[in-house]
Amino acid sequence: MPLGVTIPENEVRRYMGFRGPVEASPETDAMIKKAVSSLEKDCSPKYVSKEYPVTVEGTTVHFADITIESRALARNLAGCTHCVLFAATAGPACDMLVKRAAVTSSAYASCCQAAGAAAIEAYCDLINDKIVEEYEAKGLFARPRFSPGYGDLSLSHQKDWFRLLDITKNTGIELTDSLLMVPTKSVTAIIGLSPNKLPCVKQGCESCTMSQTCAFSRKE
Amino acid sequence: MTLKERLGKEWLFCDGGTGTILQEKGLKGGELPETWNLLRPDDIKALGRAYFDAGCNIVNSNTFGANRFKYDNVAEVVAAGVRLCREARHEAGRDDDAYVAIDIGPTGKLLAPMGDLPFNEAVEVFAEEIKAGAEAGGDLVLIETMSDSYEAKAAIIAAHESCDLPVIVTMVYDETGKLLTGGSVEGTVAMLEGLKVDAIGVNCGFGPDKMIPIVKRILACCSLPVVVNPNAGLPRTEGGKTVFDIGPEEFSNIMKEIAEMGVHVMGGCCGTTPAHISELIKTVSPLPFKAPEKKHGTYVTSFSECVEIGPKPVIIGERINPTGKKRFKQALRENDTDYILTEGLKQEESGAHILDVNVGLPEIDEPSMMENIVFKLQSVTTLPLQLDTTDIEALERGMRIYNGKPMINSVNGKREVIEAVMPLVAKYGGVLVGLPLDEAGIPETSDGRIAVAKKIYEAADEYGISRDDIVIDGLAMTVSSDPTSAIATLDTVRRIRDEFGGHSILGVSNISFGLPARELITAHFLTMAMQNGLSCAIINPCNDHMMASYRSYCALMNKDPQCLGFINAYSEYKSDGTFGGATAGAAGTAASASTGAKLSLAESIERGVTGRAAEAMQEGISEGTDPLELINSELIPALDKVGQGFEKGTVFLPQLLMSADAAKAAFEVVKKSMADKPRQVKGKVILATVKGDIHDIGKNIVKVMLENYGYDVIDLGKDVAPETIVDAAIKDDVKVVGLSALMTTTVVSMEETIKLLREKKPDTKVVVGGAVMTQEYADKIGADAYSKDAMQTVRYCDEVFGV
Repeated sequence: MPLGVTIPENEVRRYMGFRGPVEASPETDAMIKKAVSSLEKDCSPKYVSKEYPVTVEGTTVHFADITIESRALARNLAGCTHCVLFAATAGPACDMLVKRAAVTSSAYASCCQAAGAAAIEAYCDLINDKIVEEYEAKGLFARPRFSPGYGDLSLSHQKDWFRLLDITKNTGIELTDSLLMVPTKSVTAIIGLSPNKLPCVKQGCESCTMSQTCAFSRKE
Repeated sequence: MTLKERLGKEWLFCDGGTGTILQEKGLKGGELPETWNLLRPDDIKALGRAYFDAGCNIVNSNTFGANRFKYDNVAEVVAAGVRLCREARHEAGRDDDAYVAIDIGPTGKLLAPMGDLPFNEAVEVFAEEIKAGAEAGGDLVLIETMSDSYEAKAAIIAAHESCDLPVIVTMVYDETGKLLTGGSVEGTVAMLEGLKVDAIGVNCGFGPDKMIPIVKRILACCSLPVVVNPNAGLPRTEGGKTVFDIGPEEFSNIMKEIAEMGVHVMGGCCGTTPAHISELIKTVSPLPFKAPEKKHGTYVTSFSECVEIGPKPVIIGERINPTGKKRFKQALRENDTDYILTEGLKQEESGAHILDVNVGLPEIDEPSMMENIVFKLQSVTTLPLQLDTTDIEALERGMRIYNGKPMINSVNGKREVIEAVMPLVAKYGGVLVGLPLDEAGIPETSDGRIAVAKKIYEAADEYGISRDDIVIDGLAMTVSSDPTSAIATLDTVRRIRDEFGGHSILGVSNISFGLPARELITAHFLTMAMQNGLSCAIINPCNDHMMASYRSYCALMNKDPQCLGFINAYSEYKSDGTFGGATAGAAGTAASASTGAKLSLAESIERGVTGRAAEAMQEGISEGTDPLELINSELIPALDKVGQGFEKGTVFLPQLLMSADAAKAAFEVVKKSMADKPRQVKGKVILATVKGDIHDIGKNIVKVMLENYGYDVIDLGKDVAPETIVDAAIKDDVKVVGLSALMTTTVVSMEETIKLLREKKPDTKVVVGGAVMTQEYADKIGADAYSKDAMQTVRYCDEVFGV
């Protein structure tokens, strides 16, 4: 399949807002399956990445020619000597699928939207795993990926990512004036690399400050 | 000699990399290369000089990214780049045999509908660069590194509208031969040829070895000179620096292989240097040169699909057309684009290859409607479109923003019509339908029709339109008024094929007008026409009889390998005449899979069974029940029940939406039955996603819910400026405006919109929602209300309108 990775259906259900003991209906499940299979077929994922040495002083992070002030990122990168910046997109097909579905069925549109979110996350996990593996061989251990807009890492740093990685040319992702990415199913992130392995890293929802109030938070 | 005189007649050579060489001279990552035109002119001139000295005939000015999104002084930067390149040429003593290109790269923005840059604005952006370059003395426009055919089209139109210089276009494909936006090599070549460029090619992306399969495909379909400018291999990072692996000798050895395939212009891209190009010229110029040959293919394309006319009959869906359809006329008058789009999507799912688009109605602004529908259709369907109108302004506006090479319906033998339509086809490209009728009327015999067809072909020659891009209509007219009409039509179709080697088209269903059981005779006529060589059939693909005729013909005539198309379509066929799943699926209604045996209207809405909800509503109306009674006693209570469940947390969003979809389908039945009568609405509500924000799924959900509850929704879309919202509110005196924002960064626009509304239209209430929104936030930015979901917005509107 062109996406190169399976879209987990339970994640699609989570993005659609299913919570607690209520089961999705057979109709909903059929819709999810349809959305997942069209996305796995039509996605044209692309990514670009680059490695830089990184230094962290207090709450200040330096890499390439930029300086970032962010307590959360500094904490994430503590002890790191290098970092990998990357940008990834599931491609334009998902946005079109959502638009198309919205004409005839808002239920299916929300399904495609959720499947697209799960698709880009799954694709990022795939790239992330590759990076982890590649650097472990070199004796560097990866920290959880961190994105502009997380915690106090300002979204305005999107511009730095786009400049350093030449993202538009390499992947077709555009950064709008309001710092959003098109195709919408796109991610930019930094992965810290440290010579020391950290035990039990908190990741994803569990490490987010919004997890108590967020409607989409992953909960047991 | 001018470049135009030399292109395609002898070997010509482009330059190599610019950015990669400037980086070696100290250009920092992220520093804009064109700034050096003003800051380090000597370095830029030296680079140009090195390429002229290497023997290049075409050298790029350093203007690739010099557009208004990156520069405030576009004209100055571009003019300086062109001037430096001209000076370099003069110093190299190459004024007589080398050309200075105005180099045009992508804007870095995605065009709408995918991104936020409107097509006509993209044209302006490119025109600004090209005008400055032409005034500074550029000899040609080289549009390169384009990974979106739509953006390339904008640049080409800008070039043709700003100057008379030759235009060369090179695109970037991936290894499978696709553009980033999904377009194929063949479709892109067809579009570019239609736009009348002077040479077509490929650049960047990867090294010459990996370009070979793509070059092969270009050469197979392209009638113009072909340009190949590869990288020096794939870029790699080494110690923070980008390096390329293919050296001058290896590069020119592979390029020699490509030259022997029959290309015409060669050069390099990222990582190639004057040494690469010098070696390339040395290796290739002694080789024999093959001039480009005219290819004969007829292609209609969208941004991603490419339909070839000729190998087997093409189905053109006829349903986007108001003729004789009350409900469609109502949709046009009320600007109900969703209805029109749904008609398109249904036909796509039924097997149409191209969609005819006719949105003409005397009382509407047809040019704006055509532009709007073309724009919206190409954001939801990949099918190519056939623009069907007699309004020349509507035709031009549709063709201009069309993303690909459309079909045009139609021209005829009247001089006045030829003079209006053919220049547009010559400018924008398209496959043109020619009706064989003229000032003398419709010829009754095939002899008469063939004579007019000949006139149309000759007119195409006159305007420089390829005869391959003409499709002649056989003119199907009802057999009920003239018993020989079918014979004349079939003769015409056959003679177009036999006497001109041409393509034909029919509006097939006209044949049965005035007869009972029309689909029977129309379907048989379709089979006969295909057997007589019909290339394109304009039909209703949602009609089972028509598609049965088409699929049977393809299976019988060896145009359906292993009969797979036929087998897949009719695997569930019952001999009682029910056609099974092939054409039954209504667009996107996944939920209708379970048809729900005889649920009541209320039940089918509660359970979200779309197909049954529409059917139950239809049954109720047929039994004589007042539709409004059905809405009030069944539809609304059922929706309310689901809505309350959602508010309590026992029903989740997907189920709420499925019920909403079912209710919408039932409403559609009511609308159809009351297409002529004024509707009763509770009130008008404006919805918009605020400026800077491109997320609209939440807003769309609110829209569906509000419409189901009887509100007339003015949907302004996404990324909407405060002024647009305020103007719309004033124009229709709208009481409630709903604003959506997903990101904290765009809540600012929400605040601005509210401020402007308070100033200009203080009596309008504002309700806000979106992922980051909270009651506290809503209070802070001065909204009247916060809704956490679609149901709350409905409740709020009911409160404001007192219903």
